[in-house]
Amino acid sequence: MNRTVLIVGGIITAVVVVVLFIGLGKNPAEIRTPLIGRPAPTFALLEVGTGRTIDLASLKGKPVILNFWATWCGPCWEEHPVLVANARTLPNVQFLGVVFQDDERKILNFLEQRGSSYPTVVDDRGKTAIAYGVGGIPETYFIDAQGVIRAKYNGPMSSEILQENLKKVLR
Amino acid sequence: MIAALGRVLILASLLAASAGALLGFFAGRSRSADGLKWARRFSYLYASLIISSALLMIYALLAHDFSVGYVAQVGSRQVPTWVTIVSLWSSLEGSILFWGLVLGTYIAAATFFTRGRYEEYQPYAIGVWLASAAFFSFLLAGPANPFHTVPNPPFDGPGPNPLLQNHVLMAIHPPFLYLGYVGMTIPFGFACAALMKGRMGHNVLKPIRESLMLPWIFQTVAIMLGGWWAYEVLGWGGYWAWDPVENASLLPWLTATAALHSIMVVERRGILKGWTVTLIQATFLLVLLGTFMTRSGVFNSVHSFTQSAIGPTILAFLAVSLLFSVALLAFRIDKLEAEGSIEGAASRESMFLVNNLIFVLITFTVLIGTVFPLIVEAVNGKQMSVGRPFFDSMTVPLGAVLLFILGVGPALPWGRATPEQVKKALLPPLAGAVLFAIAAYALGVRSPWTLVTIAFGGYAAQVTLWQMFLPMVQRMRNGQSFGTAFVDSQLRRGRRRFGAYLVHAAVIVAFIAIAISSSMRETHELHFTTGQVQKVGGYEMKFLGVEQRTEPHRLSTIGTFDVTRNGKAVTRLTPRMNQYQMMREPIGTPDVHTTALGDFYISLSNVDSASGTASITVFIAPMVVWIWISVIVMALGALFALVPARRVVATEAKDPLPEGATETA
Amino acid sequence: MMVLLLLLTLRVPDAEQFVGPPKGTPLTGDALYQRTQEVGHLLRCPVCQGMAVSDSPAEMAVNMKGQVRELLARGYTEEQILRYFELSYGQFVLLRPKMEGVTSMVWILPVLAFALGVVVVIFKLRKLGKAPAPAAAEHQPPTDDPYLARVRDLVGGGKP
Repeated sequence: MNRTVLIVGGIITAVVVVVLFIGLGKNPAEIRTPLIGRPAPTFALLEVGTGRTIDLASLKGKPVILNFWATWCGPCWEEHPVLVANARTLPNVQFLGVVFQDDERKILNFLEQRGSSYPTVVDDRGKTAIAYGVGGIPETYFIDAQGVIRAKYNGPMSSEILQENLKKVLR
Repeated sequence: MIAALGRVLILASLLAASAGALLGFFAGRSRSADGLKWARRFSYLYASLIISSALLMIYALLAHDFSVGYVAQVGSRQVPTWVTIVSLWSSLEGSILFWGLVLGTYIAAATFFTRGRYEEYQPYAIGVWLASAAFFSFLLAGPANPFHTVPNPPFDGPGPNPLLQNHVLMAIHPPFLYLGYVGMTIPFGFACAALMKGRMGHNVLKPIRESLMLPWIFQTVAIMLGGWWAYEVLGWGGYWAWDPVENASLLPWLTATAALHSIMVVERRGILKGWTVTLIQATFLLVLLGTFMTRSGVFNSVHSFTQSAIGPTILAFLAVSLLFSVALLAFRIDKLEAEGSIEGAASRESMFLVNNLIFVLITFTVLIGTVFPLIVEAVNGKQMSVGRPFFDSMTVPLGAVLLFILGVGPALPWGRATPEQVKKALLPPLAGAVLFAIAAYALGVRSPWTLVTIAFGGYAAQVTLWQMFLPMVQRMRNGQSFGTAFVDSQLRRGRRRFGAYLVHAAVIVAFIAIAISSSMRETHELHFTTGQVQKVGGYEMKFLGVEQRTEPHRLSTIGTFDVTRNGKAVTRLTPRMNQYQMMREPIGTPDVHTTALGDFYISLSNVDSASGTASITVFIAPMVVWIWISVIVMALGALFALVPARRVVATEAKDPLPEGATETA
Repeated sequence: MMVLLLLLTLRVPDAEQFVGPPKGTPLTGDALYQRTQEVGHLLRCPVCQGMAVSDSPAEMAVNMKGQVRELLARGYTEEQILRYFELSYGQFVLLRPKMEGVTSMVWILPVLAFALGVVVVIFKLRKLGKAPAPAAAEHQPPTDDPYLARVRDLVGGGKP
């Protein structure tokens, strides 16, 4: 019996099978963020419709739920009512929406038709999205009262998911 | 009814393959001639059952029978007939059925062509083939069942993925790929048989070589078609992105190429038997790995089928096959005795050994780069990427070494050579190297890597041409006329040799074309308003306007450009942005003007129909068309080498061996 | 005037927050274009299947490429730009694996394999060179004549 072949072959088999097996449990399209525990990048953007500027730094002192979305994104339509409802029942949490790659008229129409209970700002050429490492939308960041990102959720949230992530920020 | 019939055929094929596999192994162990006869019958039975079920599915697709599960998934009355046929392999379950169709055909052909010969290896080979066949029939009976019945059949279906209807190449690339991939099962069977038998006699080399060569030809063309499709359809101006699924098609090709070379040394010198069987086994295992990668959803790729339950099943089969192959090698490889030796380091044999090493190294590098993100994530949970920059940095130098060996190897004689012989073999082709390098420099090549590649190519070209026509020159020296010598030595008697060197010549052209088209391409980004004319790369372009076209599954925004050179009209190009309903990001389809010297390639990056403006990227890439042409020549050369030589004087014994007897020759 | 003042107060998160001030020289014109392409080829578009930012038509990729261009124009080095994207997206966004920690293995292993392979080949050449003489003597000298080779094929040669 050729021991070299057995050992080398055995190692290759073990590594390949184990790695692929573990890989089966993961979703390659889901990218995790390195921003957890780091200060949220600050910005001052134009609110849609009103023309005033909203500065993230000025919101310190309250936890912030920052939601990136757009009107052309299907799952964002699903998520919107959840955000609007929760914003109303949580007055000591600041909700803020950031839209990028979209048209102002469409955003205003959307908010008019589907309701709005918190401000929405427009990003400049996706720069804020890049700073936050936004890959797809909707993506939501949970920032605590000191301005540190504590959690991120990719995809449309249900009320339960929102509440669960909110706990990490309300400590 | 069709669904039920299909199910029955598939289950029957599973039974036939399983029974046949067991019979094959049994017949091999007990050396029973009757057992072999029956194994062969089950082999044909499996083939006819699985082919029938595939044909039945094609019929169901064409007849738009939406009571059949798969037809309801991908069928449609709205699409042209060729799309309906193509949808057989457009989605997961159908693709496995297509696999079965190809495998059944290969097994039937292999069974037929081995009738009355190689009888000590046949039973084991059939056993291995049918075991693999049984697995795929199992998939079709269980996790990937295309024949499930739809209770309330809809009137019409959604049709296959619209991306697949974009270009006719989608109809050709998958069949070639399957003909390559699936075909590797056959030489794997022979290699396992040799190991199980504990012998790799001279007579089993021919079936191994030929059954390896045919799928290799298909695989080579398939890889090229994939690259060509990426170039013509995806719009980023390149043809190879080292995407995991692209790598999956390349890996078995690399080991198969190495095996094809290694087997020559076994034929000539009776050595490197262990290497050869290992390479063939690796080829089949890489085919299974590739199938897993495409279908499991584990890898992030442009090509992947959607995630399904089939992943774990294929992984299980891969694990079993790996264990089987490793065990077989570990326990039997030492039985394959070397019959000769390598007499000198500067010999063709040792060059083949180095060749093996380089191919294995490239395979290892590409494999580890592809799988590495998974390994890292398994080890410490972090996500990282291994992309083009890695693969390009690693494979370019290795490729250069390969090109170097392609020149030096065939130049060296077999066996022990004196230093004078070595000098006489290795020095003259330097002329070719220098000539090519000077010509390249004169024509504007400045990149050092490209010049090195071209110099190596020149060396190799001289060696290849000399070796190619050597038999003809020998005959002419003996008095034959040019015509007779050519026909006799290249077309009649020396097909294998001529074909092989033709392949090498084409490989040299491919290397040079790839090097030049990468290092000497120009990229320009331009903005146009309607009616504007701009100069780029020796051409003038006029933007004629934007047009929007709505088709059932996509919205196309088309920009039209008139291209002229020195005032004379060259062509009209219409690159597009396609927004498919089911995809979030648009796909830009470029338009390319191809000439022998280079391509003029336009891709839309941004187009606004309201303002009539367009932003485009223009690529001017020299010699691209030669990449496609040279690969086709590679395939033709190999095909030519496969054409069987006329049977000569000696007849082979055709009687089945009596029990207990061993083959004498 | 009010609009101007208003616009002046707008601020997007800046690379400076992440990687500090620019360490290189600002680029312009052709050099800027070339370098944007090159650095863009080192960044992965997060919404495409593995494509580089330079190659993808997706708007996210176009935005990222725009950022790269702006940062290069301000004088940021390639290292800083890659670090900036790495800090917000994670190592996932780097197409060229970093030469540090676990990820360096992907570069090192092939080199090790190459070294090992060379050793194996030398070893094998030596071993095969010492094979017993009788077996070699029985074997007929190889020939380039395909006809002769074919005859030998059929008549058979060498031990099984």
